[in-house]
This record gives sequence, structure tokens and C-alpha cells, in this order.
Amino acid sequence: MAVYKRTYKAYHGQLTPAWSRFTVLSRYGFARLFASRMFTAFTVLCFVPFIIGLLFIYFLHSSMAQVLLGMQMSTALQVNNVWFSVFLGLQAWLGFMLAAWCAPGMMSTDFANNALQLYLSRPLSRPEYLLGKVSVLVALLSCVSWVPALILFFLQASMEGHGWLFENLWLAGAIVTSALLWIAVVALLGLATSVLVKWRIAATALMLAIFFMLPGFGVAMDLILHTRWGQLFNLTYVLARLWASLLRIPPPHGGRLEPVPLWSAWATVFFVCAVSLWILNRRLKAREVE
Amino acid sequence: MPAVIELENLVVRLGHRTILDRLSGALSGNCIGLLGPNGSGKSTLINTLLGFYPPLSGRVRIFGEDVQENPGCLRSQIGYMPETDAFIADMTGIRFVRYMAEISGLPRREAMERAHEAFFYVGLGEARYRKVGTYSLGMKQLAKLAQAIAHGPRLLLLDEPTNGLDPEARQRMLQLVRDIRDTGEVHVLISSHLLHDIEECCDQVLILKDGHVAALCNLEEERKANLKFLELEVSHENGFLDAVRGLGCECASFGAGRLKIVLPDNIELGQIYRLASDDTVQIRRMNYRRDSLEDIFLKAMSGKTEMRGATNGRL
Repeated sequence: MAVYKRTYKAYHGQLTPAWSRFTVLSRYGFARLFASRMFTAFTVLCFVPFIIGLLFIYFLHSSMAQVLLGMQMSTALQVNNVWFSVFLGLQAWLGFMLAAWCAPGMMSTDFANNALQLYLSRPLSRPEYLLGKVSVLVALLSCVSWVPALILFFLQASMEGHGWLFENLWLAGAIVTSALLWIAVVALLGLATSVLVKWRIAATALMLAIFFMLPGFGVAMDLILHTRWGQLFNLTYVLARLWASLLRIPPPHGGRLEPVPLWSAWATVFFVCAVSLWILNRRLKAREVE
Repeated sequence: MPAVIELENLVVRLGHRTILDRLSGALSGNCIGLLGPNGSGKSTLINTLLGFYPPLSGRVRIFGEDVQENPGCLRSQIGYMPETDAFIADMTGIRFVRYMAEISGLPRREAMERAHEAFFYVGLGEARYRKVGTYSLGMKQLAKLAQAIAHGPRLLLLDEPTNGLDPEARQRMLQLVRDIRDTGEVHVLISSHLLHDIEECCDQVLILKDGHVAALCNLEEERKANLKFLELEVSHENGFLDAVRGLGCECASFGAGRLKIVLPDNIELGQIYRLASDDTVQIRRMNYRRDSLEDIFLKAMSGKTEMRGATNGRL
């Protein structure tokens, strides 16, 4: 319909493939996030450790660069599983702050504005809606976690040579698995808080409380009941325990307490993901029916 | 005309309450009115048409396709304007409508083009770059209509489209609905409890009462078929009443010269005047009318059984 005619006309043109509709949500989600300069600046900041890592690996292997800069890198410095665990740990915290910024507002605004019925009255299913939203977080968190870590891994492999890549191939898998576990927990928890609380600030507070206040409850439980299971309330610890196992480094110590068994850490992660998905399934409806 | 919406013993239950109980009927009008008092199941029926509520039993078909079997394909042909406020407040109007059109399957460029056209069409062209959150209630209603039509649906579901509008805005909304209806490219289903809105736009009406079909009728046929009434106030009834009855009219007196006469099709108004003149009866007030939608609605509401002609589909 031409604007000047101002008459209604049906659309008979081409349609996009049905499978690609969720990408519209992702695209608009990214556009909305990066409309904020602060967010863009912080995302750029998240890549600073990666740049430092790149330079570190380069200088470690380039004697020419060391001579030119008048630096002598210690031979004790090695890029190995411990080095990657430190890098991933740092990136995980930066990524967590990114997620805490954007995840709570991702769905809460749709809930606050009753927009869900508009999405779901279109050829978009509930899983596709969720996929569209979660893909923003997964892509963003991947870009600050396993993607730069893998780039550093392959840079190290190319500069080290002598079969380093094949000896440490397991490390690449461990990096990706560790990061994906962390992404799953952070993204699903973030979205679950987003659908539970319509007010964005309250949703952010809830997400931070889960990560920073629940561990306090766990410590109190350990002290009162003389147990070590309270550590399972500390999601950061639980993930670190799994990372230690995957990256083959010593498990983290929760003060004087013994580390929790590995199976309990896996169970906690699955439980958190399952509960988040259950909440999302309960709340992601065009209409609420009690 | 092939049916747009077919209901076949549709039962919808929410919680422990049956909201729609064995609804059956075929809706085929260009503009279908969905009438009923609050809580009669109008919005539930719309939500069931959209596939939001699964039927406990029975079927719903839109354009011959089962809603539950192929919801994705059907939804791309449906435009929905919800009753409540539903938008994305921090988006500009144009971006909001474009976003919704893209989710409906339009490519980016076409979505942008049609979003602009839809905004101009509903009369919000000048406000399209303002954030939706800053719109007035009337503008929000129009923006909701714009997002419902931007992707060019074949069926438009409007849930209480004139809710909260001032008389001028209401007239504008109804005019838009009539314009859309008259293009013949889209079928419109309007849910409302405002009889006047339905009467102005619709050619078919489904009246719900307590989750049942109270009436399903073609308004135009109904108007033609219904009898004409005369409400008279006369100086005296002496002889006049019998004379009118002699013409073959049904007549009732309510005292003090107030009469109600049912005119058969073959009786003209002039014959009544002549009788009055012959009997020297002074006609002080005359109200001539046909059955309105209000009468149909009230009959449907007071009736204990479903009011639908088995053969002609009329009341």
C-alpha cells in the first residue's frame, strides 16, 4: 500500500524462513544492548585481558621482541592449563558482570509491557522466543570466554610448535566445556530472574543475591551443622570445582573445609539449570492461567 | 462463502472451570462480531483461536486448518490486537511495528516499508518516531492496530478495540475497521461488549453467554427478517385498536393511549394514518423502528436455549 493512498492491502510478498524468526529477536536484542554506550564500553573492556594474553604469548615466544623491548621473560612462565584457568576465571567474572547488566532486562521488559502475547500470537513458539533471547547471552558470553581462550590456545599452539597442540588438545575441549557450563548457569539463571521479577533493577538484585548472598547462607549452614555441603550454595565455588576437574588443576578450597565431591557439583549445576528451565517454562506464556 | 472460523464442539477449561462449553458454528462474515457480557468467554475464544489455550475437546479451524495442528502457519495469517496494553515501551513506534512485522516473517526492507505504511494508515504517521511509552491511550490503541495489520494478515482479531477511547477516537477506530473490512482482503473478528460498535461494523454476530453460543446470526438478514414496530401515543383508543387489528396487525395497549403495533410486511404506514384519520384519532407521538442488535442481544440473553435457526442460520 502506498503511503499517499492510505488504504489497507494484504501482503503477498516473500516471507523469511520459519526457522530464522528467532534471529530477529537476537538481532533486536543486540541492537538494544549496544545502543547503550556504557554497555559497549564495558564490552570492549572485557577484551583487555585477551589483548594482554595475546601480547604475553607473543613475547614469551619471540626472543626478538624481548630483546627489542629489553625484557627477559622467565623460563618458568608457561602457558598451560593453570594459565588458561586463570584467564578463564578472569573472563568469567567480567562476563558475569555483562550478564548481570543485560540478562535481567531481557525478558522483564516484555513481561512488564504484556508484550509476550504479541510475540506468541505470531509464528514464533515459546522455545523459539527463549532461543532468541538466550542466544544473545550465549553469543555475548562466548565472545568473552571460550572464543578468546581458544584463540589464545591456537596462538600458543602455533608459536610453541613441537606437537604442543596434540599434547594439549584435551585442554581445548576442557576450555570450551568449562565455559559452556558457566554460560548455561549464568544465562539460564539470568533469564529465570528476568521472568520472575518484572522490574529490571529488582531482577538484577535477585541475580546478584543468588551469586553473592546464597554463599553466605551456605557458610552459616556449614558452621552450624558442621558439614561441607553448604558450599553447594556457592555457585562460583561449584563451577570452580568443575573447572578444576576439567582443566586438571587442584580443586579450590573453601577455607578449612574439604572440597565437595565432584558428582555433587555436577548435580548442583544440573539442578540450577533444570529449575531455571522449569521457571521459564512456567512463566513464558502468552496468558497466565491459575 | 467458505467458513473463516469453524468451531466444532469446542470445550475450553481453565483450572477447574469450563469457560467455553461445546461451542459449535461456522463464522464466514467479512466482519464478525463477538458479543457477550463480561465473563461470557469472548477473550477466551480469541485466545483459543490464537492457540494460547488448548481445547479440552472439540476443534477450531481457521481457513480450514486446525489451530492446534499447525499454529505457526496460521499465526502468520493472523493479526492480533489485544485488549490490554501490549507494546515495547522503550522502542519507537515505527521500530516496534517493524519488529513485529519481521517476527511475522516479513524481510527487513518490506517490514520497514509496511511499518511506515501501517502508521500512516492508522493516522499516527507524525508520531511514528516517538517512543511507544509516551503515547496517549488512543495512540497506543492505534499503534496496536498498526502492529496487527503491518504484516498483511488474512484474519484480524480485535479484542475490544475501542476500549478507553474518547468518542472521536472511537469513531476513527471504527472507520478504520470498516475500511479494512471493505477491502475484502481480510476478515475481521471484533470482540466487544459495546453493541453499537458491532452494529456499525459487522455483518455476522456470535453472541456468547456463560460459555455457550447464545446466538449466531447474519445481521443483515436478521434486520430484513425482523418485524417492524410502531410505538404510538394517541389521544384515545376507541375503535382505533380494533381497526388496526382488522388490518392484520398485532397490537398491544399499555394504557393512557400508548400502543405498540407490529407491522406485517404488506402493511404500509399510510394505512395506519388513514385509519387514525377515519377514527379522528390524534397521533401525538410515533416511533417507528426495526429490531436492533440490542433486541437481538437481549433476546439471546433472556433465551434459555441457543437461538439459531436450524435451516436458515437466523434467530
